[in-house]
Amino acid sequence: MADVVATHETIVVVGGGISGMTAAVEAAETGKNVVLIERAPSLGGRVSQLYKYFPKLCHPTCGMEINLRRLRGNKRIKVLTLAEVTKIEGRAGDYRISVTAHPRYVNENCTACGACGEAVSAQIPNPFDYGMSTMKAAYLPSLMAYPQRYVIDPSIIGTPDAERAQAACKYGAVDLDMATETFTLTAGAVVWATGWRPYDAGKIQPYGYDRFANVITSVEFERLSDPRGPTGGRILRPSDGKEAKNVAFIQCAGSRDRNHLKHCSRICCMASLKQTTYVRERFGDDAQSTIYYIDIRAIDRFEDFYQKVQADSTVRFVKSKVANITEDEASGDVILHGVDTEGYHRYDNRHDLCVLAVGMEPSVDIRTVADVAVDASGFIEMGSTNGGIFGAGCASNALDVNRSVQSATASVLRAVQVVNRVAKAEG
Amino acid sequence: MSDLNTSMVEQYRNNFLKEVEANVEGGTWVKMCMQCGVCSGSCPLGPAWEHPPQELFMMIRAGKREEVLKSESMWMCTSCYNCIVRCPRELPITHIMHGLANYAHRLGLAPKMNPTRRFAKMFWNNLVKSGRVNEIELSVGLYFMDGFKTGVARAWAMKDIGLGMLKTGRLNPFGFLTHKGCKDKRGIHRMLKKAREIEDRRKGLAA
Amino acid sequence: MTDMKIGAYVCQGCGLGERLDTKALTMVAQKEGKAHVVREHEFLCNSQGVAMIQKDIDEGVNRVVIGACSRRAKAEAFTFENVAVARVNLREQVIWSQPPTDEARELTQEMAADYIRMGCAEAKKIVAPTPNAAHGTNKRILVVGGGVTGMTAALESARAGYEVLLVEKAPALGGYMASLYKRVPSREPFADPQPTDIEALVAAVSKDPKITVHLNSRTTRTSGAPGQFSVDITAESGPTRTENVGAIVMATGFTPYDASRLPEFGYGKSPNILDQAGLEALARSAAAKGEPMRRPSDGKEVQSVAFIQCAGQRDASGTHLKYCSGHCCNTSMKQAMYFKAQNPNIDTAIIYTDLRTPGNGEDFYRSAQTKGVIFTKGKVQSVAVNGDGSASVHFHDLILDDKAAVMKDVDLVVLATGQVPNSGVNIDIPPDATDVPVTEAGKVQSVSVLNLTYRQGPDVPQLKYGFTDSHFICFPYETRRTGIYTAGPVRRPMDITQAVEDATGAALKAIQAVENAGLGRAAHPRSGDLSFPTFRREGCTQCKRCTVECPFGAIDEDEQRYPQFNEGRCRRCGTCMGACPVRVISFENYSVDSVGSQIKAVDVPDEFSEKPRILLLACENDAYPALDMAGVSGHTSSAFVRTIPVRCLGSVNMIWITDALNSGYDGVMLMGCKHGDDYQCHFVKGSELASYRMSKIDDTLQNLNLEKDRVRVLEVAISDIARVPQFINEYAEKIQEIGMSPFKGF
Repeated sequence: MADVVATHETIVVVGGGISGMTAAVEAAETGKNVVLIERAPSLGGRVSQLYKYFPKLCHPTCGMEINLRRLRGNKRIKVLTLAEVTKIEGRAGDYRISVTAHPRYVNENCTACGACGEAVSAQIPNPFDYGMSTMKAAYLPSLMAYPQRYVIDPSIIGTPDAERAQAACKYGAVDLDMATETFTLTAGAVVWATGWRPYDAGKIQPYGYDRFANVITSVEFERLSDPRGPTGGRILRPSDGKEAKNVAFIQCAGSRDRNHLKHCSRICCMASLKQTTYVRERFGDDAQSTIYYIDIRAIDRFEDFYQKVQADSTVRFVKSKVANITEDEASGDVILHGVDTEGYHRYDNRHDLCVLAVGMEPSVDIRTVADVAVDASGFIEMGSTNGGIFGAGCASNALDVNRSVQSATASVLRAVQVVNRVAKAEG
Repeated sequence: MSDLNTSMVEQYRNNFLKEVEANVEGGTWVKMCMQCGVCSGSCPLGPAWEHPPQELFMMIRAGKREEVLKSESMWMCTSCYNCIVRCPRELPITHIMHGLANYAHRLGLAPKMNPTRRFAKMFWNNLVKSGRVNEIELSVGLYFMDGFKTGVARAWAMKDIGLGMLKTGRLNPFGFLTHKGCKDKRGIHRMLKKAREIEDRRKGLAA
Repeated sequence: MTDMKIGAYVCQGCGLGERLDTKALTMVAQKEGKAHVVREHEFLCNSQGVAMIQKDIDEGVNRVVIGACSRRAKAEAFTFENVAVARVNLREQVIWSQPPTDEARELTQEMAADYIRMGCAEAKKIVAPTPNAAHGTNKRILVVGGGVTGMTAALESARAGYEVLLVEKAPALGGYMASLYKRVPSREPFADPQPTDIEALVAAVSKDPKITVHLNSRTTRTSGAPGQFSVDITAESGPTRTENVGAIVMATGFTPYDASRLPEFGYGKSPNILDQAGLEALARSAAAKGEPMRRPSDGKEVQSVAFIQCAGQRDASGTHLKYCSGHCCNTSMKQAMYFKAQNPNIDTAIIYTDLRTPGNGEDFYRSAQTKGVIFTKGKVQSVAVNGDGSASVHFHDLILDDKAAVMKDVDLVVLATGQVPNSGVNIDIPPDATDVPVTEAGKVQSVSVLNLTYRQGPDVPQLKYGFTDSHFICFPYETRRTGIYTAGPVRRPMDITQAVEDATGAALKAIQAVENAGLGRAAHPRSGDLSFPTFRREGCTQCKRCTVECPFGAIDEDEQRYPQFNEGRCRRCGTCMGACPVRVISFENYSVDSVGSQIKAVDVPDEFSEKPRILLLACENDAYPALDMAGVSGHTSSAFVRTIPVRCLGSVNMIWITDALNSGYDGVMLMGCKHGDDYQCHFVKGSELASYRMSKIDDTLQNLNLEKDRVRVLEVAISDIARVPQFINEYAEKIQEIGMSPFKGF
């Protein structure tokens, strides 16, 4: 990675999801040099795994296409994938950032022609589909992958499969001797945009995510609904592949709960409202969606979307935190038990599938890397002691896409202030 | 106490909530409920409740003093603790239910014929008498509290369990005759008296 | 101008060499495309391939045709300084979109040959763009509005080293926030109202040497473009000064919804019924006097307060605001805490339907409960004012399902009304329109904020309900006026924390706008594009379509009523080019001619060949990537289609369609983004305008005596990877059905 030139006027962006990509292009288009570091083999982050965005029901790949075009066309951005920041030392205007880069086993000669993928036989779980599908161990992470280069999974290194991949490549792009590299970058400021991860639904014992096949998470449901996903968007439930027409959505699965996440994750109400439209889109009038909620938090203009979904006769709302779920072993159906607190109605409702609207928690604990203030949930707090390290997007709070982008853009200005001060001092 | 019994409670004002906070164990938690209903849904006796816990909390906040204190609902609690474990606000719901029942009982508003209340009284008296529970006396008392005929039917229904307990020595058939108390019965009585004094003082019930 | 010298390069990698006769393709480039240099390469994107091209460029090649993969791949390798490059997509949209069979070979080769012809034709008509010489270099930022949003934008810009002009219409800085007693907390533990610290912010702005503040002032005229705006700042009963700035942040905030529209809640019937702003004033004046809060009617110390959430908000009936203002739940909790701090025994009840305290607001909610604020889920029906000045709130208690619940004799009632944006004139509503809903805020506000001299109107276009928000989830700052960014509650309903964040983001965008304007580069989404529209004055008929249809209001009219292109405001979508009936508007690298020549370059077989030709004009933002990904995913589609990417369907000029039909194409397809309420078009109106223009194509078809189905317009999304080839195949079948065009061979 000796080719990465970084100075005290460089802004390092950590995380290549929507927030990090935004931060990188916004900074570069303001004339700053940027190094964008992503842990996965491709940029895109969690939003690229969503089928649609609320409230417009548009596709995340659409904005990603624009951002990738901006990124490709900008020489000020250097992208490092399969790389992780392990330590940040120094102070605003003078950071030393330790990076570990993992081998892709494919170099920049790759044309994404797909020959290596055809040559290998090993199948591995596909993280893009949250493990609900498998893929070849030589793979392009997604159709929108950037860099548009294949990856050889480390699990086949040293096996004949890897040799086959290498032999299949006419362009000398497969390099099985690649090794983990560690190096240090210089930077003036850091935008930390490592995003979120879904709360571990298995910890919510009464819902049986770890026991019942047809209890899944909201992020998994995105993949089931996506035509590019493991079921071709047909919304087939995991236990028996039956069409899941009658779907329950449980809000605050982990959020607003002193036993789990004490904060409200902000996006989940809108996400479930959106997901009812997937069921509607797929099954028409045969669809049945039920949202079990405490408060529907469709703030500001999102209220329109809530009213639209309320008007859909296939969607029911039950004010209730579901008490527990049982499984009808014969059919695989899930039965939700609880009380609708609007007027006290007890229910035992049978559904084909139950989707847990899981909460958000920061995907990385930044304190292991840098001395930065975080709140009780682990989100980066703005503070004078953070120096030139700025949280952006869901590393800083539970935010939706729009607000993540807003947050990333704001963080860029804070970073620009630091590097402009450095530039002035350096003359 | 009687003035409390008869006082007019304004609805949706804090008077009754304050009264509960002052007098009911765990009462200060009532205001923390966000009406999610996980407690109501988690109760194994759920269907038996006229007003489940979360509804009771709302009724307290709405100032429905009579309805709450005269309710049979909180007497349904069997202390399984499911609700406490699941409550996202960590309300000690089980404790509040017992607290409410206890308070209603003290005020004399608790439903007179409520079986849980009657059993609790019976159990207490049985225990206090000798400092130790007398199983045969307690179970016979319980079965026959609604008259002889129902008592026979109840006892007959439980005969297998009763025989089993006899066989394993868990039930002394001569318990009616031999009130086997604890070693220091008077000490126990003194202790309980003291505890009552402390509790009354705490609840502001002492003269 | 040096002579044109075309170099055409055909890659043999990724299976191109096996599937195509690349030698023959170079011959096509040479003979028909008139390329001066033609070369094949087994792996064109590797360093030797690129070096080979660069060597030719060094030796005089100034137009490059790359026959390889999609323009979306290997962009880094195939970018050459100061040389126009035409990418010919032989991989994704030729060999990967055709079956790899021997039978398909001939048609695949014909397809590739056509694309090579098209690439050469395009290369002849384009030049690498150079920046407009007239770009502006002013880097000063104008901030309109001196509330927390405006002051934050000013301060953050100044901290990055930029000069700022701050214009505030009131006699002092501070805005709405200055009227607050305290604010909702912004930091852990999110337990208590915190001081607004507005004085410190005002002081910081006032003493910053880079910020010039104009109080009692309005922006009475704004003209120009990013990097060169000219703004008249008029002081109340004072002089007007003209200032030059590079970009503008509009942070004009909101006005609380008029509570007197809520007589059912007693507003106006008793001074003890307040809106949230009224309660802040009460709390401030009490604090100033060091006294407890008292009832306005008789000075009685307040013992009980009811807060009514969503008052005149979330109203689906259309009488009041349809949206939720987002901050009001937290605000009411904060205000209830004012009373609890005064005396914990004051009864405070909040009646709500959904309590909306996202994020850490949940901590604040718990804190309010801990302090004894009572929350009641209910729908308020009415508020009755009693003779003694107290009020009774009648509501439906939704938990106890009591439709006749009453909160009797409360001392104060606070109505949580919403935010109405101060966005100026709604330029989409004609000035003489009647029956404008209040929530659109169009009729309500007749005073312009910016007084833009733009042809399309004096203020920033509004999205919905008067808010000047962007419609793009991924791009929240994209207003339709380049270099003007709106922030705070004028953009979207929001609280202070979000407004501060928003102001900071908008300031970055403003700084970015001045930096890019200084280099003559386009702003989002064609960031960095140096091309800009020019027009042939002699040919212009002054029809004004370009000035009216430009989605970004970039085109004004000069004194002689000719269009005046403000390049700095232009987003390079080409909607003007598509609109122009006399085809006088063009870009250096994208013109009526550059696309028209490609259309004409295609070899159209005669009508007995059974090889129809279908032209597909595909939006480069969504449809074209979908076509690429269809190829990558192995979806095949008709070999009779010839695709040309366009910047936006809005840039499609009708002449392309008539030319295509006249020259024997059997059908024309247009694929663009969704339009309507949830539009996807990256240029806002491009696809809508295209669809409007195409609705008139029937006349043209009738004149040519052609069937209606000869032209088809489709809305596609980037994710329609499987559907796009399906659409193509269905259309190809349709064309087979209606038969070959009678215009072949003319």
